[in-house]
Amino acid sequence: MINLNERLSEKKNFFNRLLFVYIFFGILFLYLIYKTFTLQVSSYSDYELASLENKTREFLIQPRRGIIYDRNGEIIVNNIPSYNLIANLAVLDDIDKLIEDIQKIIELSDSEIKTINDNFPSKKKQNRELVLKKDLTPKEIAKFEVRSYKFPELQIAVRYSRENLFPYLFSHSVGYTGSLGEEELEEILILQNLRPKESIFSYSNGFITGKTGIENVYDNKLRGKFGKKTYEVNASGRILNEIETIPPMNGEDIFTSLDIKSQNVAFNKLDNRRGAVVAVKIDDGAIVTYVSSPSFSVNKIANGLSKQEFDDLVLNEDKLFFDRAAQGRYSPASTIKPAIGLFGLKKKLIDWNSTIEDPGFFVLPEDGRTYRGWKKGGHGEINLKDAIIESSNTFFFSLAYQTEIEDLREHLSHFGFGKNICKDCFMPDIGLLPSPEWKMNTHNFGWYKGDTVNLGVGQGYINATPMQLAYYSAFLATKGKLNKFSFVQDRQDIKKDTYISKNINSNDWTKIHESMVGVIENPKGTAGRLRALKDYIVAAKSGTVELVSTETKEDYQIIREIEGQRDHAIIIAFGPIPNPEYAVSVVIENGESGGSVAGPVAIAVLNSLIKE
Amino acid sequence: MNKLKLILKDKIYFDQYLFISITLLSIMGLVFLYSASQGNIETTIKQSAFVIFGLVLMFLVSQLDPDFFKSNSLFFLICSIIFIFLTLIFGKEVNGAKRWLDLGFFTLQTSEIIKITLPVFLAAYLYDKSLPINLLNTFVALTLILIIVNLVRIQPDLGTSIVILIAGLYILFLAGLSWRFIGVSSGLFVLSLPFIWNNFLEPFQKQRILTLLDPTSDPYGSGWNITQSKIAIGSGGIQGKGYQMGSQAHLDFLPETETDFIFSVIAEEFGFIGVCILLSIFFFILLRCLYLALNARDRFCRLTIGGLSLLFLSTIFINLSMVVGIIPVVGMPLPFISKGGSSLLSFYISFGIIISMATHKKLMQR
Repeated sequence: MINLNERLSEKKNFFNRLLFVYIFFGILFLYLIYKTFTLQVSSYSDYELASLENKTREFLIQPRRGIIYDRNGEIIVNNIPSYNLIANLAVLDDIDKLIEDIQKIIELSDSEIKTINDNFPSKKKQNRELVLKKDLTPKEIAKFEVRSYKFPELQIAVRYSRENLFPYLFSHSVGYTGSLGEEELEEILILQNLRPKESIFSYSNGFITGKTGIENVYDNKLRGKFGKKTYEVNASGRILNEIETIPPMNGEDIFTSLDIKSQNVAFNKLDNRRGAVVAVKIDDGAIVTYVSSPSFSVNKIANGLSKQEFDDLVLNEDKLFFDRAAQGRYSPASTIKPAIGLFGLKKKLIDWNSTIEDPGFFVLPEDGRTYRGWKKGGHGEINLKDAIIESSNTFFFSLAYQTEIEDLREHLSHFGFGKNICKDCFMPDIGLLPSPEWKMNTHNFGWYKGDTVNLGVGQGYINATPMQLAYYSAFLATKGKLNKFSFVQDRQDIKKDTYISKNINSNDWTKIHESMVGVIENPKGTAGRLRALKDYIVAAKSGTVELVSTETKEDYQIIREIEGQRDHAIIIAFGPIPNPEYAVSVVIENGESGGSVAGPVAIAVLNSLIKE
Repeated sequence: MNKLKLILKDKIYFDQYLFISITLLSIMGLVFLYSASQGNIETTIKQSAFVIFGLVLMFLVSQLDPDFFKSNSLFFLICSIIFIFLTLIFGKEVNGAKRWLDLGFFTLQTSEIIKITLPVFLAAYLYDKSLPINLLNTFVALTLILIIVNLVRIQPDLGTSIVILIAGLYILFLAGLSWRFIGVSSGLFVLSLPFIWNNFLEPFQKQRILTLLDPTSDPYGSGWNITQSKIAIGSGGIQGKGYQMGSQAHLDFLPETETDFIFSVIAEEFGFIGVCILLSIFFFILLRCLYLALNARDRFCRLTIGGLSLLFLSTIFINLSMVVGIIPVVGMPLPFISKGGSSLLSFYISFGIIISMATHKKLMQR
C-alpha cells in the first residue's frame, strides 16, 4: 500500500512538473506567435517596403529642360549635347592619380584640372558623377576608347549643357541656371513622389535649376519630371534584370514675347553704358525688349566659372548682375509731367487754355523757398501743351502746389508707380511712391508742401524702375487700358485697368498724345533731334534726373567733372501715332540728356519693332 | 483477416498520430527545402533519402522493447562519448568548428547522438533510485551533464550544447529536483553570468548577443542576419509571397536558408497562415507526447518521453526565437524541416524511442 501511494504521488508530481514545463513553453510560444504576428501583420507595410528596397535599385533619369524661344520662334536657350569624359565617383578615390594617368591620353588644361579638384570633394560626398572634360574631339574619343579597359571608373557619354545662344543679350531677362542644392533637390523630388537616389544624368553639371530671370520664374515648367529605371538586384548588389523604366518627361518649352532683333538693337545702342531699356507691345503688355547694361555671359555662369572669373564679375564696379530694368530705382523726372497734367484736368484745376506766367522759377508761398526750371528766364506765358513740349517746371510746380498729396498719390498709382506691374518678372522692385505716412515713418518728418511741388516734376522722393516707366508709357499710349506686363502671355487672363479711362475724357487723352508728339515734332520740343531718326510719328517725354542740385549752369559744369554726378538721362516713348503699338522706356545713368542721349536708343528700338 | 489484424496489432508497435503528423511534417519540409535551396534538386533528393530512411528507422526503433534501451543506456552513452572524442581528434573542420566525423558514406554530427543517449541514460540511472531525487544523485547527474555539455561546447557548438544541457536538466527536474535546489542554483548561475561572459564565450558569440540587443548598430555586419530574417518574415504578410517567390531568400539576402533560417523562408513565402499551420502541427505532436508521457508504463518511460519531447520542444523554440530575433543567433535546425542528415535522423530515432515507450505495455501489472 505504501509503495502504491508513493508511486501515485510520484506520478502526480511528474504530471505537475511536466505540465509546468509545457505551460511555461506554451506562454513562450504565444509570445513567439505574437512576435511573428507583429512582424507579418502589424508592421507588414514596413517590412514589405524594406524587402522591396532590398531587391530593387532605382536610378533617376534626369529630364531635359525646356527650350526658351523668342516671339518669332527663334531659340534663345537650348540644350547643347557634347561628348564628355565622366568619372564614376562611387568607385574612385584617388583623383590625383587618375588625372595623372588620363593626361597621358587626353590633355587637360590647368583650369580644367583646377575645376576637377574644386568639384571632386563635394561630388564625391554625394556620389555624383564628375565631368573631367567636356566637348571631346573625335580624336580624343578614339584615343580613350582603345585604352578604356584601363579606366573602369571612366566613361564617355553625351551630356547636355544649357547654352544661351545670345549669352550677353538675355542675361537679366532670361537669366541663367546653376546647380541644384541638396535640399532644393529633395523638395522637387518629394513633389514628384520620388526619393533621392542615384541618378542617370543628362547634364554635365548634374542637377540644374533656374537661378534668375525666366529660367527661375518658369522653373516648374522648364524643369520636367524625372524618369526612373528600376532594376532587380541580389544581396551583393549585382544588377539582375530591369524591372521597369519610366522615361523622363522633358520640360515644357517656353515661348516668350522677347524679340531677339530689338533686344540686339537696344543692347548695341546702350553700348555697355549703365542703363536699361524696356519695350512692350501695348495691346497685351508683352515685354519684347528687356535689357540691363552692362551685361555678362550667362553661359559662363551656368557652365562653370573659375573663382577669379567669378570675383571679377561680382566685384565689377558697374554691378553687372544688377538688373537695372526691374530693380534700378530712378526718379521719373520730367517724364511724369503728362500724368500730373492729366490729374489737373481730371480735378478741373486747369484746362487746355489755362496759362501761367513762367519766370523760370516757382516760389513756395509758405516759406519763400524757390524751385527752379531748366531754362534761365523761363518760358513766359505758357499752357499745359507747351509746358509738356518745352518741359516747363514752373507750370507743374504751380499745378502740383494746388493738389492734395493723397489724391495725387492715388492718381499716380494707377500709372504703375509704387506697385508691381509685372506678372512674371524675377524679383521686381516696386519703386517708391511717397506718402506722408511713409515720410513720417522713414524720415521722422511731416509731409511738407514743397514735397508735393517736387513730386509735380518727378523729383524728390518718388522713384521708379525702367519697367515701371515702360508701364507708365504704355498706360499713356493705351489711354489707361493696359494689362500687367509679362514675358509669357496666357490668353485667359486679359483684365485691363479701366479706372483712368472712366475719369479722364478722351479729348484730354488725345491732347496729351498731341503734346507728347510735340516733344519731338514741335520746333520747341525737348527731343527735337529725334525727328529725323524715324519716318512715323512718335509721342515721347524726356527727363533729366538731377543727382546733385545746382543753382547755375556753371556750377553744373564743375560737378559734371565726376561722371557719377552727372544727370541721368530718361525718356519714355510710344508709337506709331495715331495707333500706337509699342511703348518704350530708356534710362541711361549719367547720360545727362533725356532727349538727345536716351532718345536715340528709344527710337532705334521702336524702329526695329515697328519697321518689320 | 480479422485474426491477422489482431496479430499485427499485437506484434506491431505503432502510434498513428505521431507517425502521420511526423510524415506530414517531413513532406512539408522537403517542399520548403526545395524552395529554400533555390530549387536545388540534388539537395532535395539527398534530404528525401534521409527522410525515407529516417521514417523506416523510426518504425524499427519503435519495435524495440523499452527495456532494451534501459539496459543498454550506459553502453550507448559511452559509445557516444567516444564519438565526441573522435570528433575532437579526427573531426572535419568547417568554418573553424570541428563538429563532424567523416564516415565515408555519411558525415555524422556526433553531438546529435549524445543529445539522445544522455537523457535516456539519466532516465535509466534514476529508474531504481528513490524519488524525489536526492542530493548525491543530483550531484552525480549534474557532473555528467556538465562534462558532456562542455565537450560539445569546445567543438564549438554552443547551440547543441545548450540543448543537451536543457535536456539533462529536464530529466532532473521531472525526477523531482527540489525547488530550493533550483532556486539556489539559478541564483548562482545568474551571479556567475559575468564570469561565463568573460571566460567561456568566443568573441563572435559575444558579438551575436550584443547584436541581438541592437541589430541596427551594425546592419551590414553581425546584425545582417537578424535584420534580413525579420524583413523576410515581415514582408511575407498574412498570405505570403507565394511558393518560390520569396525575394529575400532567392536573391541571397537571407543567410543559411536551408538550415537555421528556413523558417524565415517559409514565413516569407507562405505568410502568417503558413506559419500557423506549421506551428499547429508541431503543437499537435507535442500534445500527443504529453499524453503519452502521462500514460507511460513506468518511471523510465515517463522520464524518457518527457525528456525527449522537451528536447524537441526546446529545439523548435530556440530556432524560432533566433529567427524572429528574440535570442542571439546560435546554430539550431528546425526539426524535420532543416537540411542536415544527423539532426534529422536523431529526431526520427528519438520519436522511435517515444513510440516504443508509449506502445509497449507491461504484460502483467505488478
